[in-house]
Amino acid sequence: MRRGDPLKLLSEVRDLQIVDKDGRNCGICDEIELDGAPGEALTVSAVLVGPGAYARRLPRWAHRLIAHIAGRGIVRVPWDIVEKISGRIHLSVAAETVGLRRTEDRLIERLKQVPFS
Amino acid sequence: MGGLIEITLGIMTAVGGFVDISELVFAAQAGSRFGFALIWVFAFSTIGIGCYGEMSGRIAAIAKQPVFNLMRQRLGLRLGLVTLVASSIVNTITCAAEIGGTALVLHLLTGWPYALLAVLSTLVLMAIIWLTPFKWIERSFGLLGLAMICFAVATVKLAPNWGAVAFGFVPQIPTALPAKDLVVFAYFAVAIVSAVMFPYETYFYSSGGIEENWKPKDLKTNRLTTSVGFGLGSLLAICIMINAAILFRPLHIDPQLPGTAALEVAIPFGKAGLLLALFGMLFAISGAAVETGLSTAYSIAQFFGWEWGRYKRPHEAPRFTFAWVTTFVIALALVLTGIDPLQLVEWSIVFSVVLLPLTYLPLLLIGNDRKYMGEYVNGRLSNGIGWFFYAVLLVAALAALPLYFITSGGQT
Repeated sequence: MRRGDPLKLLSEVRDLQIVDKDGRNCGICDEIELDGAPGEALTVSAVLVGPGAYARRLPRWAHRLIAHIAGRGIVRVPWDIVEKISGRIHLSVAAETVGLRRTEDRLIERLKQVPFS
Repeated sequence: MGGLIEITLGIMTAVGGFVDISELVFAAQAGSRFGFALIWVFAFSTIGIGCYGEMSGRIAAIAKQPVFNLMRQRLGLRLGLVTLVASSIVNTITCAAEIGGTALVLHLLTGWPYALLAVLSTLVLMAIIWLTPFKWIERSFGLLGLAMICFAVATVKLAPNWGAVAFGFVPQIPTALPAKDLVVFAYFAVAIVSAVMFPYETYFYSSGGIEENWKPKDLKTNRLTTSVGFGLGSLLAICIMINAAILFRPLHIDPQLPGTAALEVAIPFGKAGLLLALFGMLFAISGAAVETGLSTAYSIAQFFGWEWGRYKRPHEAPRFTFAWVTTFVIALALVLTGIDPLQLVEWSIVFSVVLLPLTYLPLLLIGNDRKYMGEYVNGRLSNGIGWFFYAVLLVAALAALPLYFITSGGQT
């Protein structure tokens, strides 16, 4: 691995759409978790999704505002279930397996009670 | 044969759906105030929206990427989020203006109270979105909006000096005007650029391309819709301006209400003309209300990577559904506060133009990215026009707010 590669990976993977094995949209890669120690190469260990992940990239006042509106939730998607990256991040499992789409699932149940939904 | 019908329907839908309340109001006011001198700005801006519309449709067909996904990737989280917040506010204000406009037209048709009609029309529009798939929504409003062609027929009947009309297509600044009026002229020019190149149009158009699962074979339809369809739609707006120049300018009438524009057809064709004009305006304006409401939801859902689209049933894209319902509720609340819909139009026009450079930059960048677009990357013509208009939009964005305040929204 060349020295510049991890940074390129960071800039090219962050903010990409994530789709699960059924092709459903299940969030955006808000941040990347890296593993490593001084003197060792860094490796990507997970993709982080949720307001708690992207708020860290914003100024402190915006961080607080987002925490107030959307909470601080973070879903950790292990890197080893990323199947491929091609303009989107494709997962090899269903979103629910890693805890994505929780809000959707809650809202779906409520909306199903509305006629013609 | 099926392909030809599809292309024709696409073009007709674009024509009928092109004019909204802002174009209606600004075209009539510009014609009444400056005669034919601003025709070229409409024609010029139409080339811009045609270029960016084609680009966004091509990106939807090839890269399958909606505008706000691209915006976040290319502008980054911070600038992307600023654009999202600003465009959601502008879209909601525009949606409120369109709901207000719809209620005004209905008030003219029925005489019922304005506030009641605003509530009823919002509920009907929400029910239509809830129950019908994307294609039906787009087609029905676009095709019924074709009744706006009566404005073009009225132009022919009013028999303007065609030589003077043709000269209006030549870029010009009326040097005989006093300095104060020149500033107002500049304000109207910027407002027309903004009205024609409204950001929501690209959000809606490209999201629609993805909803309809466009593929490379649809690029021909995309090209024809954005050139012929948008071009003919813009011609309708130009006809509104010409009619206003002929009918209102000599009498010093300032057509600030949408209903005044309907007189352009009523004067040559009587009651039948008036009803047809109001019918066309009703569907053109309410169609724009649907587009702006959905555009807000498209933007938010795409930015955060949620499920989205009207090809899904409401419960299958729940956060998207929640977003458009909320947009309509807030827009209706704005209307019910009693703010003049035309004030809302002016705000949406001025703030939209500030957003335009942020909206169109990601399109230019992705359109040029061979990794996403392969052989369908922007050609020289597309790039040339795109970057030229980008420079124009930057100037317009910088000038919009100062011009708005100096001219008190074109009133001085």
